[in-house]
Amino acid sequence: MGSRPRAPQSGPIARRLELLGELVRRDVRARYHGSVLGIGWTLLNPLVFMLVYAVVFGDIIGVKGPSGKSYAVFILSGLLAWTFFSQALVMAASSIINNAGVVRKVAFPWMLLTVSSVIAALVNFLISLLLLVPFLILAKAPVGWPLMAVPLLVLVTFGLSLGLGLMLAAGSVYFRDLQYIINLATMIWFYLTPVIWPLVHYQGFFSHGRVGLIAHVVVYANPMTWIVVAFQDVFVFDRWPQHWHGLVYAGALAIALIWLGVRVFRRLRRRFAEEI
Amino acid sequence: MEPTIRVDGLSKRFRIYHQRSETLKEVLVDRRRSRFEEFWAVNDISLEINEGETFGIIGANGSGKSTLLKCVAGILVPDRGKVSVKGRMASLLEVGAGFHPDYSGRENIYLNGAILGLPRRYINSVIDEIVGFAELEQFIDNPVRNYSSGMYTRLGFSIAIHMDPDVLLIDEVLAVGDEAFQRRCMDHIESMRREGRTLLFVSHAADTVRKLCDRCLWIEHGSQRLAGDTDTVVDGYIGEVNRRELEALQASASELGGSEPGWMGVRLGSVEFAGSDGEVNSVTTGGELTVRIAYESPSAIRGARFRVSFYPAGQAVLLSVQTDDGDLGDRLLPAAGTVTLSVPSAPFLDGVYGTKVEIEDIASGRSYVEIDRPQSFRVQGAGRHEVGMALVGHHWEVPSLDPTSVNV
Repeated sequence: MGSRPRAPQSGPIARRLELLGELVRRDVRARYHGSVLGIGWTLLNPLVFMLVYAVVFGDIIGVKGPSGKSYAVFILSGLLAWTFFSQALVMAASSIINNAGVVRKVAFPWMLLTVSSVIAALVNFLISLLLLVPFLILAKAPVGWPLMAVPLLVLVTFGLSLGLGLMLAAGSVYFRDLQYIINLATMIWFYLTPVIWPLVHYQGFFSHGRVGLIAHVVVYANPMTWIVVAFQDVFVFDRWPQHWHGLVYAGALAIALIWLGVRVFRRLRRRFAEEI
Repeated sequence: MEPTIRVDGLSKRFRIYHQRSETLKEVLVDRRRSRFEEFWAVNDISLEINEGETFGIIGANGSGKSTLLKCVAGILVPDRGKVSVKGRMASLLEVGAGFHPDYSGRENIYLNGAILGLPRRYINSVIDEIVGFAELEQFIDNPVRNYSSGMYTRLGFSIAIHMDPDVLLIDEVLAVGDEAFQRRCMDHIESMRREGRTLLFVSHAADTVRKLCDRCLWIEHGSQRLAGDTDTVVDGYIGEVNRRELEALQASASELGGSEPGWMGVRLGSVEFAGSDGEVNSVTTGGELTVRIAYESPSAIRGARFRVSFYPAGQAVLLSVQTDDGDLGDRLLPAAGTVTLSVPSAPFLDGVYGTKVEIEDIASGRSYVEIDRPQSFRVQGAGRHEVGMALVGHHWEVPSLDPTSVNV
């Protein structure tokens, strides 16, 4: 009957992958759209932060890199991992709200909007990893086999931020303040993660009575502690991650959070189009 | 055969918030729960649409048409009942199906295609057609935020129809866009019907529904009022709309007082409009119209002229009639009385008409008083084929050929 050839229909998985590709492309470009420096901002942001921290904490306050290692490399390696995580959370939290126009009008797997925002953060992170290269060379840091652990660390971080991100994205539709709370929470979370000071500094504080005990629990329960420490192990010390039990914990938590995130998202998405 | 679209006992409930706790302060400090009422926007609707059918949903604004369509589109999840759709579905809900304002038209085409599940290489093959149909060749690489609403609509429509859907859902979208584009859309919809695509069409424009749809559903307050073949349903719907309009018109007309006293204290009292069977504010095309004008004055009036002007609601005067000067030049009118204007065959076509009534002094031409009734009566032109505002008597001569003399 039809005069024109029918359009091919991708299968359900191919369809989702194609859409995801299209969304990631859009999300990555959205960050740089209309900016002169473009992708350079991805590098400039952590670079400036690193320099500020290196000057303030390294030179002014006098924090030293662990066992004579470069403080700049130390800061940068933790900072890049942390930035990936926090940026993924912030982008994920607004991923549904920012696409209100589409969600209101087209039915498709909306979860992909959140997944793509986390992937976009991952892409930014991978680009920003390039920053480490000149610093590693300048600091004459040896880099070897432990580098092979990085993909696994990235995967766990990705899982953690995706799981939390799904809950935040769905929750934000009903409760807008969540977006602002996230900004505040990640700021506090940053100081509960050993990015600026090595973990041993925190450990020294754990014996200080009740507050020390709370800090002990919080810092150890924080999965990002083990991710950041592992990054420092690889890039600063050129050794395999030492706290493997922490990493196993973080990985298990990531799986649990994804499971929970998908469930929460599926439950809340039923009223997205009317609440958004 | 299994219908292409099946809706079974579908109901959708919405929340109307009175006080909505949306911010942190409200939730934590005020300890206030959101207060809301629930209402059923769509209530127990069932329908089956077969492959190749064009189905219309009509109803007043807020009757639940769009909610029903969004449930079929899968955007809203029904609270009760089931929806199933076979094949690829594309929908045009309101204007511009979710464009990203910062991206160019071209980028939005790819994104939309991906959302609808089409491979990029297929979009590559139809993108020129999409752009051409939308007449956006010059602007396709500009950000969509700079588009006019017409351009937005054209692009949205063009994308939807080129996505090669088995099922196309359309919500009022044809009401926008210029005449030429609307016509091309209609042509395209027509050709999609011929190709055996299934169309579900929501509108309150009875004419469009009549022209396009095979079958129709009329919903009112979320519930099915009437379903069946298009003419029956649309006639029922139009009849209802007209009846409501007339009732509203009669109700507001009965509350109207007369005018303020004008020059020399002359004022107009009630102005009544009646049709042939004496029904107030309702007239039939070609039927009788009677206008009764009550006036009052502190004393008798000499040499006054009455003028009545009719105009289609919101437009310029169509017809103005006045009393005969010669006959009334020296006549003395009583201080209070009623003037009656009879139109034996009202020339007005379907619609609501306004009326202006004036009293003037014949000698000086000075106006005593005037009154305007923007909604004075409703004309029912049912069953007539004339288009426009006024009916003129006419006669046709059409040539005919004697069939026996034709060599076929």
